[in-house]
Amino acid sequence: MAIDDKVGRDAWEKLGDFFRARSIWMMWYCTGCGAIEMPPTMTSRFDMERLGMGPMATPRQADVLLITGYLSTKTLRRVIYSYEQMQDPKYIVAFGSCAINGGIYFDSYATINKLDDYLPVDLYIAGCMPRPEAIMNAFNTLQQSIRKGEADGWKRYKKNSEFYKENQRKAIGEVFVHDEFHE
Amino acid sequence: MTLMNFFNALIFVLFAFFMQTSITGVNRKIMARLQKRRGPRWYQQFLDIFKALSKSSISHGWVFQFGVVMAVGGIMATVMFIPIGDFRAFPGTDNIFIISYLLAVGMLGMAMSAAGSGNPWASIGVGRALTNMLAYDMPFMVVVVTMIFAFKTSSVGEIAEIQRNIGVLGWNIFRLPLGGIVGLICLQGMLGKKPFDSFIAPAEIASGPMVEYGGRQLGMLFILHELMTFIEVSLIVNLFFGGGATLLEYFIKYFIIYTFANLVSGISPRFKIDQAVTFYYKAPLLAALVQGFIVVFTGWGVTKWL
Amino acid sequence: MNLLSIITILIVGGLLTYVVSRMNKIVGAYMTIIISLATLAMVLFIKSQVGSTYSILYFSFKLTEVGWYFSFVLALTYAMSAFYNVYFTDKLLYPHTYSMLYLLSLGGSIGLFFARDFITFFVFWELVVWSSAFIIPLGKSRKASYIYYVISTMGSLATLYAILLIYKLTGSLVIREAFVLLDVSLGESILIFGLFILSGLTKIGIFPFHVWLPLAHGSAPHTFSPILSGGLVKLGAYVAYISVVIFPAYGAFSSTFMVLGIPLPIYLLMVLGAISIVIGTLMAIRQDDAKKLLAYSSVANGGYILIGILMKDQIAFAGGLLHLFAHAIASATAFLTIAAVAYRTGTTKMSELGGMIHRMPITYTVYLISIISMAGIPPMAGFVSKWLILQGLANQGLLFISLAAFFGSIGSFLYVFRPLSAVFLGQLAPKHENLKEAPPLMLIPMILLTCITLFVGIFPNTVLESITHIQREAGINMLELQQNAIVTLNGYLNAYHVFVVFAYGFVLALILYLLMPNSRRVGLMDTYTSAEFIYTPELLHYAHDFYAPFERLYGKHPSTLKLYERLSLKVQELGTFVDYAFMSHRPSLTVFWIMLFMSLIAMGGVVQ
Repeated sequence: MAIDDKVGRDAWEKLGDFFRARSIWMMWYCTGCGAIEMPPTMTSRFDMERLGMGPMATPRQADVLLITGYLSTKTLRRVIYSYEQMQDPKYIVAFGSCAINGGIYFDSYATINKLDDYLPVDLYIAGCMPRPEAIMNAFNTLQQSIRKGEADGWKRYKKNSEFYKENQRKAIGEVFVHDEFHE
Repeated sequence: MTLMNFFNALIFVLFAFFMQTSITGVNRKIMARLQKRRGPRWYQQFLDIFKALSKSSISHGWVFQFGVVMAVGGIMATVMFIPIGDFRAFPGTDNIFIISYLLAVGMLGMAMSAAGSGNPWASIGVGRALTNMLAYDMPFMVVVVTMIFAFKTSSVGEIAEIQRNIGVLGWNIFRLPLGGIVGLICLQGMLGKKPFDSFIAPAEIASGPMVEYGGRQLGMLFILHELMTFIEVSLIVNLFFGGGATLLEYFIKYFIIYTFANLVSGISPRFKIDQAVTFYYKAPLLAALVQGFIVVFTGWGVTKWL
Repeated sequence: MNLLSIITILIVGGLLTYVVSRMNKIVGAYMTIIISLATLAMVLFIKSQVGSTYSILYFSFKLTEVGWYFSFVLALTYAMSAFYNVYFTDKLLYPHTYSMLYLLSLGGSIGLFFARDFITFFVFWELVVWSSAFIIPLGKSRKASYIYYVISTMGSLATLYAILLIYKLTGSLVIREAFVLLDVSLGESILIFGLFILSGLTKIGIFPFHVWLPLAHGSAPHTFSPILSGGLVKLGAYVAYISVVIFPAYGAFSSTFMVLGIPLPIYLLMVLGAISIVIGTLMAIRQDDAKKLLAYSSVANGGYILIGILMKDQIAFAGGLLHLFAHAIASATAFLTIAAVAYRTGTTKMSELGGMIHRMPITYTVYLISIISMAGIPPMAGFVSKWLILQGLANQGLLFISLAAFFGSIGSFLYVFRPLSAVFLGQLAPKHENLKEAPPLMLIPMILLTCITLFVGIFPNTVLESITHIQREAGINMLELQQNAIVTLNGYLNAYHVFVVFAYGFVLALILYLLMPNSRRVGLMDTYTSAEFIYTPELLHYAHDFYAPFERLYGKHPSTLKLYERLSLKVQELGTFVDYAFMSHRPSLTVFWIMLFMSLIAMGGVVQ
């Protein structure tokens, strides 16, 4: 869901986007089966660090959240919690077909089908799982869209928060669980 | 303490930041080549810091923010005390004890602000960092006391000048060889590089003190780390390698020593914190004491040298 | 308005306070505040009368520079801690006795510092020991009091023996005369020196006499711990001063083996001081109770003061005396903040507290500045004194002692940070949700002491002036002071410049920080937990076993207290044996002893 009225970016935001495009820190939190494609992308053969990307330990320090695969409802709660702990501007990249339309788990009761209903996605990478070459290509595209100011998922989340919250409530109930099992 | 001194100090801090951050970027490339990768651009570290400064941030209270400012402030003040060649931003303030103890302000500020976040990972990381400081400072301070006794001065700039009087063989790494080796081992601990970086272990304790930092606090923390590295490597260059009569000479020595420390960290595993303490209290402390006895009781290397 | 009036006011005022407290204990507590403040004002007033002597009844006093310096430190500590008496009268079993003994111990200390002859010295020393021995059990533990009394008596009796020995050898009881007239052999002078300084060592709490300190300071009433730690240990430092400076120890021992220019007996005492620094630091790191932690830190800092005074040179001696002042202020402030927290929450155990900064921010700031001074970080007073001591040690080339001094200095970061993080920072427990800041009468002394620490740290020459007068009186080379700077042979320190540069750096960092976008405030429980949902703040607070990996390295260590207990057990066994062997009713033993003595007499006759 895109923002209809594109407000122009002022000079500070353009400068910030210039830096944010060239230095992206990913959160070291990879869900699902696509996580296996991350180590080859980070290490010697497909070196992610030359694009300026690197892993960081906690959501407070990270810029991009990689949803690498399917999302069960249990994981979706934690992913939404972590996403809200991240600081603006933040981006989401979804790997694989499970985030687009459910993939091979489209008829499961425990997974979600369309990630964009719950969290604003900036970039999808097609494949099951996408290989490191595809991932590097996608990161390049992400960098260009950040530089142009088009990766505005965080702005969409704030602007359309009722839409996202409504979908989250319909799918998983409450994000921060309060029941006698946990407390 | 004229206005010119303050202006010089500001330029010096900016220069130190610029120099160290570029060297860090080049070293990231060197480390990547060590691991058969390509590595980022040489100015990647600048991009990281400015990106962090441009993001929005959260705070857990006033001490969370105040600690960061106090740490960076203290470290900026310490940078102004470092001598290079004949240049001193504020004359008469480069006493070795002032520099070592003002470094502790940086550590205390960061520790205060990290513990103020309320996250137990941060407190664990801070506890480890302080224990690490107790470990590496012991042999280093014994060597420093030996040098103060030997050269009859505790000013870093003067110790550097005394070494330059005889040429290359006047460097303390040749005069006090055991002390020099101990200094380099302690540098590894001071910089917080492997094998002594268990206090910012990313996967074990979620990066320790930095766990709740984001946005401008993280940017300030990176600046803090760069300036602390500058101070520590400068101390070693001035105390053991004769400082630098010219800026170019200083830069070359600085680059070689920092790259050497980085390469050692690239091939080392990580010590647990009690292993680090027992490591420093065995061979390095013994070597420092032996060096001290040699200098105090025989004068070899100081009075009996070329 | 002279010295005699101060001492009379204190002693008479103490007895009067007892009577008034019996009627209304709050008014009695206010009386202690007023009388201690008046004492502080009068001590400042008599500074100009240095050199005069007085006598009353059998006591005689002489106003000396060193005595004035020590009394000033003590009067300041007592006056500031007195403000807390008002709040803690409910918790004491005998508040009237407490108020009386509070003032009597101050009177005893001031009389001690100005004593001109040995009798005055000893009487006032015992007055202080007895009044503090009766205040300590008003706190948590009775055992602490009798261990304190036993060890203190050991020292006092040794000193009394030394005094009587000196009288027999010289015939004079005036302190300064008798020591100068002493003309004895090396062995006898070592004996006199060792016996005399023993009471000082037990009072400062030097290894192996340190066992009473953590017990007493840790379990004394909350308002008396700052005085025990900040004031009364300085009495031991005064005895050390007498033993080294007035008794010409360096001259008397000049024929012993010299270690880098220091006679062997004095070097051995310095080694004891170094060991107590290390032991105090290591034991402080593993404490869970905040007051016991600060008590062990007093053991460590007492080692510094002893080393400084024993060096008796230009630099380290001044450092030791300045450290006396800086440590008194910093330690008293730290104890006062812990007392404020204990007043509000009822406990001093760090694992039960947490997050106090959100409810008591001023107390937190005061504690922060006091630990910056205790750790020896510029721009506070503790840095200047540690700088002087370390420069002095480095000049002489004393490697092992400077190693211990650095260990204590850097180890102090560890143990002073622990209460900061466990008590004030971290998660706030729900049961402390409704706490309020410390009451205003408690805030006044805390803020005053903080300002003094800051002021002396930036302008140390105000206090160092008095110390140079002491050095001149003692006949040592004076420390060279320029306008704001200290110039020594091997180093130069301008504390004011250091502070200005520190402030400049802070302003630069603040400007950079404020240029960036503002931060959004989030709650303490909204924190990184690997996305786990957390509900209990107490479980998320990291306070227990704070330095566990480091503590494990020396966890199984021998304990000096157990050594004392084993010794006393052996003495008991000896007594039982004597009782069995000599005092029993068994006829067989009597026959044995008769046979033994007769054979001895017979043998003696044969030899003759």
